[in-house]
Amino acid sequence: MVCGGSCLTCPVAYSALSMVAIGIKRIYRKPMQKKRLVSQLIFLFITNAAFIFGATGLIYSYFYCWESPQATMSCPIGILEHAVLEASIFLAIYLVGTIAIIGTIFGRAPCGWACPIGFLQDVAGKIKISREIKRSKADERARYLKYAILAAIPFAVYHFATMAYTDICPIGGLTATLPILLFHYGGYTPTEFFLPKMILLALTIFLIVNVKRGWCRYLCPVGAMLAPFNKISVLQLTFDESQCLKCMNCARVCPMKINLPYDVKSMECIRCGMCVDECPTEALKLEFKWK
Amino acid sequence: MKKIVAVAIAFLIFSVGFYHAYELSELLNKSRCLGCIALLPKVSTFKEFWVQYPSFFHKKGSPTLPEWLLNESKQHVVMLFFWYKGCDPCKAQWEDMVKNGIVVGSEENGKMAANYSKNVSIITIDIVRSELGNLLEIFTPAKAIPSTPTTVILFTTNQTYWYAFSGILDASMVKKIIREAIEEWYAAARA
Repeated sequence: MVCGGSCLTCPVAYSALSMVAIGIKRIYRKPMQKKRLVSQLIFLFITNAAFIFGATGLIYSYFYCWESPQATMSCPIGILEHAVLEASIFLAIYLVGTIAIIGTIFGRAPCGWACPIGFLQDVAGKIKISREIKRSKADERARYLKYAILAAIPFAVYHFATMAYTDICPIGGLTATLPILLFHYGGYTPTEFFLPKMILLALTIFLIVNVKRGWCRYLCPVGAMLAPFNKISVLQLTFDESQCLKCMNCARVCPMKINLPYDVKSMECIRCGMCVDECPTEALKLEFKWK
Repeated sequence: MKKIVAVAIAFLIFSVGFYHAYELSELLNKSRCLGCIALLPKVSTFKEFWVQYPSFFHKKGSPTLPEWLLNESKQHVVMLFFWYKGCDPCKAQWEDMVKNGIVVGSEENGKMAANYSKNVSIITIDIVRSELGNLLEIFTPAKAIPSTPTTVILFTTNQTYWYAFSGILDASMVKKIIREAIEEWYAAARA
């Protein structure tokens, strides 16, 4: 616990406050979006509540660095790396089980409703320079990059015998390296990975202010873990064609630019519900379907 | 029905993993790998051995060293090296120490080099796998995160003298501290 549990010195607290201020005004106007804001805030708090719960052995089902000063749970990618390094089959089973149980129930909803990086992207996506990247072949292909990254991590860890992804993880740079450096200036020295990490972080920030949900779309390995569960998850986006007016409002507002309203089981859907809010006839619904 | 079965299977996998790996996950989460986020604690300058816990080491009360370690440190100078697999800075420091003829072997089963083995013993502690991993907390200052590599050098005469470093400790500095420790230990033994 680096920050000593003081919210006054917690960068996450300040960024959360500024996000809330901007977010409430610009993004979370519709009913489901208001609920989503509450959910994202609760999870932002839970994610950084080590001053209450301590550092537990649970695993986040979204992307957040466990080296972050107040991180309560373990990073799924960090656990994956340790499972390879320690050759621990049970650590791998624990990770698969956590992702499977969250995935089979909620699909990729943690990206939309819980992930602090998703929250950051929701806000960053509203910055004026943020562009609507339309569906194209290049966009489609680039989306496979996150699966390639996820698949490459175990091999890289095995080959280099280090925490190969963590060493250069830009989210770790944002949520752990910078807060620790900022509030304990002079207490730590950067290693040789500091510069690559910061360059990747700068590129990531550039990506997410330029492309809506750019990190989720192209780079997030945790999103790649959850994505296949969208096909079978209990929480589903449903489409009733008989009620559809073909206004295509859903396709317009979708931050992930999936092929709405038809491709409701898309692996890219983060269950944010923006399409549901925008639909004038309730043709699209977000509901738990056990059958 | 299919979804209920899928959730049940997922729950089963989760339960097995939780039962066997929760503690390891918790340990990993608690022992923060600062090297992994491209930072290392700054090493404090070596001045002299401490005979009691300096004020910045106090947590809740003064932690005491385990009996076996006190006994070991009465026989000779003891060097503790806290590390774990995948810790780049640990590997860097260990390789530096091997290169400079302080230790031989790997971190897992490392020994002191022939020059030192008579007067110094080394205990390498993998903080993830070893039960001794908890010792790291004793050698971590109050407001710092237990981190690797941490190098501790200690010996006991009429009282225990020790020094602890978090971060990469230069091999020349390790040599200097060991040399001083041996001299102090012999001086006390002669007295």
